[in-house]
Amino acid sequence: MSSLISFLIAFPLLIGTLLLFTWWPKVRNLIVVASCVAVAAVSIATVIQFGNGNGVFFGLPGGVEPGAALIVSEIAMTAFVVAISIYNRRFFAPVLALIQLGIALYLELAGKLPEADPQRLFWFDRLSMVMVLVVGIIGPLICINAIGYMRDYHRSSPMVKGRRNVFFSLLFIFLAGMFGLVASNYLPMMLVFWEVTTLCSFLLIGYSRTDETIGYAFRALNMNLIGGVGFSVAIALLAEQPNGLDLAMLTSGPVSGVLLLAVALLALAGITKSAQMPFSSWLLGAMYAPSPTSALLHSSTMVKAGVFLLLRLSPAMAGSSVGYLVAFVGLLTFLFVSLVAGTEENLKKVLAYSTIGSLGLIGGCAGIGTPELVWAGVMIIIFHAMAKGLLFLTVGTLENRLYTKNIENFDALLSLMPRVSVLMLVGIAGMFIAPFGIVIAKWAAIRAFLAVPGIAGAALVTIMAFGSSLTIFYWGKLLIKIMSARRQSDYERSIERRISWYEWLSEAPLAIGVIAATLLIGPLSDNVVGPWATAAFSAAPRTFLTMDPAALLIMMAAVVFLPAVAYWSWRHPNYDHADFYASGRSTNNAHVMGMALGGIHRVSLRGYYLSGVLDGTLVFNAGTLACAATLLAMVTAGVVAR
Amino acid sequence: MSFFSKSPWIFHYDASSCNGCDIEVLACLTPFYDLERFGIVNTGNPKHADILLITGSVNERNIEIVQNLYRQMPDPKVVVAVGACACSGGIFARAYNIQGGVDKVVPVDVYVPGCAARPESIIDGVVQGIAALEQKRKKTA
Amino acid sequence: MTLAFYALLFVIVAPVFGGLLAGADRIVTARMQSRVGPPLLQPFYDVGKLFQKQSRLLNPIQEPLLLGHVVMMAATGAMMVSGTDLILVTFVFALASLLLVLAAGSAYSPYSFAGAERELIVLLASEPFFILMMAAICKVTDASTFGAVLASPTWVAFQLPGILIAFLMVATIKLRKSPFDISTSHHAHQELVSGLTSDMSGRLLAYVELAHWYESALLCGFAVLLFNWSIPLGIGAFLVAYAAEVLVDNVTSRAKWQLVLRSTWVATLLFAGGNVLALFVVGR
Repeated sequence: MSSLISFLIAFPLLIGTLLLFTWWPKVRNLIVVASCVAVAAVSIATVIQFGNGNGVFFGLPGGVEPGAALIVSEIAMTAFVVAISIYNRRFFAPVLALIQLGIALYLELAGKLPEADPQRLFWFDRLSMVMVLVVGIIGPLICINAIGYMRDYHRSSPMVKGRRNVFFSLLFIFLAGMFGLVASNYLPMMLVFWEVTTLCSFLLIGYSRTDETIGYAFRALNMNLIGGVGFSVAIALLAEQPNGLDLAMLTSGPVSGVLLLAVALLALAGITKSAQMPFSSWLLGAMYAPSPTSALLHSSTMVKAGVFLLLRLSPAMAGSSVGYLVAFVGLLTFLFVSLVAGTEENLKKVLAYSTIGSLGLIGGCAGIGTPELVWAGVMIIIFHAMAKGLLFLTVGTLENRLYTKNIENFDALLSLMPRVSVLMLVGIAGMFIAPFGIVIAKWAAIRAFLAVPGIAGAALVTIMAFGSSLTIFYWGKLLIKIMSARRQSDYERSIERRISWYEWLSEAPLAIGVIAATLLIGPLSDNVVGPWATAAFSAAPRTFLTMDPAALLIMMAAVVFLPAVAYWSWRHPNYDHADFYASGRSTNNAHVMGMALGGIHRVSLRGYYLSGVLDGTLVFNAGTLACAATLLAMVTAGVVAR
Repeated sequence: MSFFSKSPWIFHYDASSCNGCDIEVLACLTPFYDLERFGIVNTGNPKHADILLITGSVNERNIEIVQNLYRQMPDPKVVVAVGACACSGGIFARAYNIQGGVDKVVPVDVYVPGCAARPESIIDGVVQGIAALEQKRKKTA
Repeated sequence: MTLAFYALLFVIVAPVFGGLLAGADRIVTARMQSRVGPPLLQPFYDVGKLFQKQSRLLNPIQEPLLLGHVVMMAATGAMMVSGTDLILVTFVFALASLLLVLAAGSAYSPYSFAGAERELIVLLASEPFFILMMAAICKVTDASTFGAVLASPTWVAFQLPGILIAFLMVATIKLRKSPFDISTSHHAHQELVSGLTSDMSGRLLAYVELAHWYESALLCGFAVLLFNWSIPLGIGAFLVAYAAEVLVDNVTSRAKWQLVLRSTWVATLLFAGGNVLALFVVGR
């Protein structure tokens, strides 16, 4: 175990450094593909060696102490943040970074940091296993996709200076940080990996180095560093407690006193990283980064680190006021961003809101903390990572062909790019349609919230009812656009043929994965997620909600049948392209309509964006305020508990 | 077994009528005549209709419309020309912009005379239209 | 085995029930307008005829989507009576309704598209209520399936007065009655033509009708859940509610979609949400 995890951290780091100095595209592509295969293979090997038991603890190979390396990397990262911030005339981030470094140095120099047990640096259990699979399989697929995407990205944005060596280097360094994070048990070490992911995200958002993206990059950095400061303070508090810095021991059961305050601060870090309100705006700004970045960092993996931490903390905060308030931050976020998503036209932003909403749902599950709820949380992590990763990649592909991210411009996509449409349909279905995993998880969550007593329970169930309906609305609107069809010219039909193999080979496996994981949800629950959920709460083994396999198969067949028939019938030679009703005016299926005096008019149809009912900005601000108040109450509850 | 005689749906189009016939067509739906007794529905949409009921003569500007509506009706379908104008151009026949009766632009199955056509005769025409509908269905089936 | 029998029973009986209900609806409506109205079996004649007509597709995906709509609507009911978790039933129900929206929207014609978008709005307006209703029913009876709710000694309707009120409002949407029939309607001379069915012809339209019969039967099933101590009473209550809907249909005009969404959400939040809140605070 020890050597495999060390490999998963060291190898991408090494490749990342190597790629930084690889300026030749062909060599770089080769290195990227080869290392992606290696990372995926080793991830699978790790899981096989772990063999699906209960948690194991281990250290670095040869029992090496990480102490000095941690402090050195913290100093290096802080220096980097300070330098780049001052270069860009931004002064909030360096303050936060220096506070963090100050705490770390104080603990180190004053000798407050207790000796870490070299055999308990890492903690690998079924949750880490799920995360390693998510990072180690979806991550490499996205990196491969990025090869094709970045080539077209630079073709279509000639103003952006090509720094693809930096881009791929950062992707790999990020993977290293992520592997370290999900396997960490020793909190100061986890903080270092935490900051690595923050920095990678910051640099990737600012990739194009325009004023706009630099602004968004710093917004992301500031907000994540707020969480980082929370994390550091939590470490300072925990350093004085026996075994406080050992995550597994900290979260073995409900905590109180100073420990609860520390857990609240760690939850704050989790909330910032997973972009819950009031910190949601950084993830929306992050959408200006190249799409593979959005897919990898801002939907599939990095933001998952936040909810991963919340799920880890769940047994510690369950039943406490902190737990309840964390749950409310999550679910209010889910409700408010779902409302805003209904008013948004930019598809990448809709995807971002949906991501924030799903993460909020997981946060809500983790905060209340029962085996059923964390089960649902992990299920959402798995299915969301695949479906949303797939969606971001396909949107990236579309963006480079159609030069737009606006939903209204995706008219008749099914006839324009049938293959990409089918991939997108699978991704969207995976997000909200009945037999797919996320819906099963929502169902389980509603069931579990029903058991929560008092006003809190009623509020949670009501929020779930409205939030779930809103997801149907905004995804449905997109589905209508994609599924429509019109006659396309030969040129238009040739667009799809120019999509690179890198993109097909990364998107198709994700689509297959979404379907396969749904079909295998029973075994997945019985062998991995279920046992983890009961073990985390030291609860008796139980069976979790699953659908009757027959019903699952029937529904799946119905849902998969649709895109298949759609694809087939669009190509069907006997299809007669009937024209539409336009009050007797002559029309044809290319959507040109005859007007009076021989004029013609191109038909364009726009969806409903709840105008006159909801104001997106207003709702977003209201949500931010509500969640900020809840968050404040959460930290206060922690302080009071002390 | 055919259901056409039990459920003929009508689509009514006013070409260039003086509106006399249109009022009589609508009168058929009122409680006094109650066409719905026979399962007849005024659909307002050619894609749902079996019978195209046209009042008024056809002029230069609406040839295209009449043909388009007729084309959009799914088979089997019949056309009932209601009133003197729809049958032959009527009082407008010699006007500069009038083509003549509906049969100049689409095939007409039943002619209902009258200026304006009486509701009784309209109902009678529709019933004959149903018979034509049945024949067409047999031909295609 | 018994459960599979109930599922089969629903699939067979529901369209008969829904069709007869639609026929009775037309007669009652006609009588309210002092007309005689069509025969009781008229909806069956209509659907029979539609199957004999030519069907023309604007987009080939329409047909599988509409077939899916019928199948999922029937499956929703079959799953409900055969013991699927009631909360999952609401999700499947939403999927079934969504397929109709997609079938209409994919035609990509002005009237169908507007109808589809409006149908999506009514789906958004009605769905929270159904989730809350099922949650409340599960909460008061401590059961999760149709059979268990019927077997429960708790008299559901007495504990869920708010849900009953909101049900009347939301049923107006699902039964496509004025003032909430914003997405489609049978009547001529409308701003939307036939809304989401504008570009469906022949058997495509027949699928829509068939699915609507299933939907009516499903709503009747929901009413039975609320009057869980007596199935005849539940069906009776549904019929009374339906008669009230017909009356409302005849005396009101179509509302704007904004009003539909706002009023339904407010009613859901106030009556259903308030009821749920009371259950959680006062209840066990």
